[in-house]
Amino acid sequence: MATESGPAVDPISQFALHPVVPIHIGGYDLSLTNCGLFMLLAVALSCLLVAIGARGGPGVPGRMQAMAEMSYEFVAGMVRSAAGDAGMRFFPFAFSIFFFVLLANLIGFFPFSMASTSQIIITVALALIVFFTVVVIGIKEHGLHFFKLFVPPGVPIYILPLVVAIEVVSFLTRPVSHSVRLFANMLAGHITLNVFGSFVIMLAGAGAIFKGLAVMPFLGIVALEALELLVVFLQAYVFAMLTCMYLNDALHPGH
Amino acid sequence: MGSDPDDDDEAERLRARLDRLAAELKSRAAPPPRPEPKSAPQASGSDAGSGMSLGLRAGSEFVSAVIVGAGVGWVLDRALGTNPAFLIVFFMIGVAAGVVNVIRVTSPKGAPLTRNSPLSRANSPDKDVPRSASRAEQDASLGGRGAAGGPFRPRSEADDDED
Repeated sequence: MATESGPAVDPISQFALHPVVPIHIGGYDLSLTNCGLFMLLAVALSCLLVAIGARGGPGVPGRMQAMAEMSYEFVAGMVRSAAGDAGMRFFPFAFSIFFFVLLANLIGFFPFSMASTSQIIITVALALIVFFTVVVIGIKEHGLHFFKLFVPPGVPIYILPLVVAIEVVSFLTRPVSHSVRLFANMLAGHITLNVFGSFVIMLAGAGAIFKGLAVMPFLGIVALEALELLVVFLQAYVFAMLTCMYLNDALHPGH
Repeated sequence: MGSDPDDDDEAERLRARLDRLAAELKSRAAPPPRPEPKSAPQASGSDAGSGMSLGLRAGSEFVSAVIVGAGVGWVLDRALGTNPAFLIVFFMIGVAAGVVNVIRVTSPKGAPLTRNSPLSRANSPDKDVPRSASRAEQDASLGGRGAAGGPFRPRSEADDDED
């Protein structure tokens, strides 16, 4: 939860980065920040989930195994529906992206933590990885045919330059919308929670009559937390889904 | 060399297969085309959630296309020293690309950029009525309105607004 913002009620201060482990190498500040720490935690948790789940063992599968299998089925279904069976070779990539984003989002729910995906640089980095993967794999697989992606079939020659320009801009848009969507959702969710939390504090401190009213924003926080949980899952899903759809373009650029 | 019973068997099997396929074809053709589950990946969430995420997606696609278009134009201008020319052109191309993106987000996968998008009521009653029919209807209603003293609109223009 994002309601612990210290004495000053400033909904943005929760996103501030501060070094946890200072590292300075050759004049560069490479310190491990709180954001990086929680990213590492997300990576560790996702590895742990799969490692424990895949350990198997004799007898009845345990809860962790069921969870790992379910998540495998879920992501595999997503990849197949978006990129077809040929897309299954990107399954590890999609699985990693999905679980990293999901766990990074979920970690943000705990007090004194932060959602790494509420930093735009993280989501931009992820989206650019996807973007360049698509471009590199597309060109490697199809050579110059990859650029047929920008030439829709059946377009008259005299408007082709315009259409190609529009398609190119539309293609360049992908990393932007891909990253901004996740970032904006996480940022907005945490700011909303923080603002509602500050309402509770302000009302409780405002005197006898208002103390009772403080219950209302508190109930609002409870409802918003539920909504946030939905948003967190949905955004992780959408992010991974779009990754698969973009990879599908790399595999079948001819539409 | 097949003997008679073999041929009969073969024919029987083929007929059975044909019947089965025909029945399958009918059962497939019978239900109205459902909105594809693939195009609405958020359907697993609640209705409000999926609608919200679709709306946010469409919005962010549009906005980022405009920004990227303007950005490309600005960079070209800086590189070529033609100050506002490319910015203006690519801003407009960005707007067009944004519209294309929104249409693409909201139309079913695989289909061309078209009609049955979640934003345009896939199952509204007049969706698949041929245009000529609705045009005739429109003419009729126009005639009625004209007689009642409504604002006069030439028919050729009235036809245009359908597209």
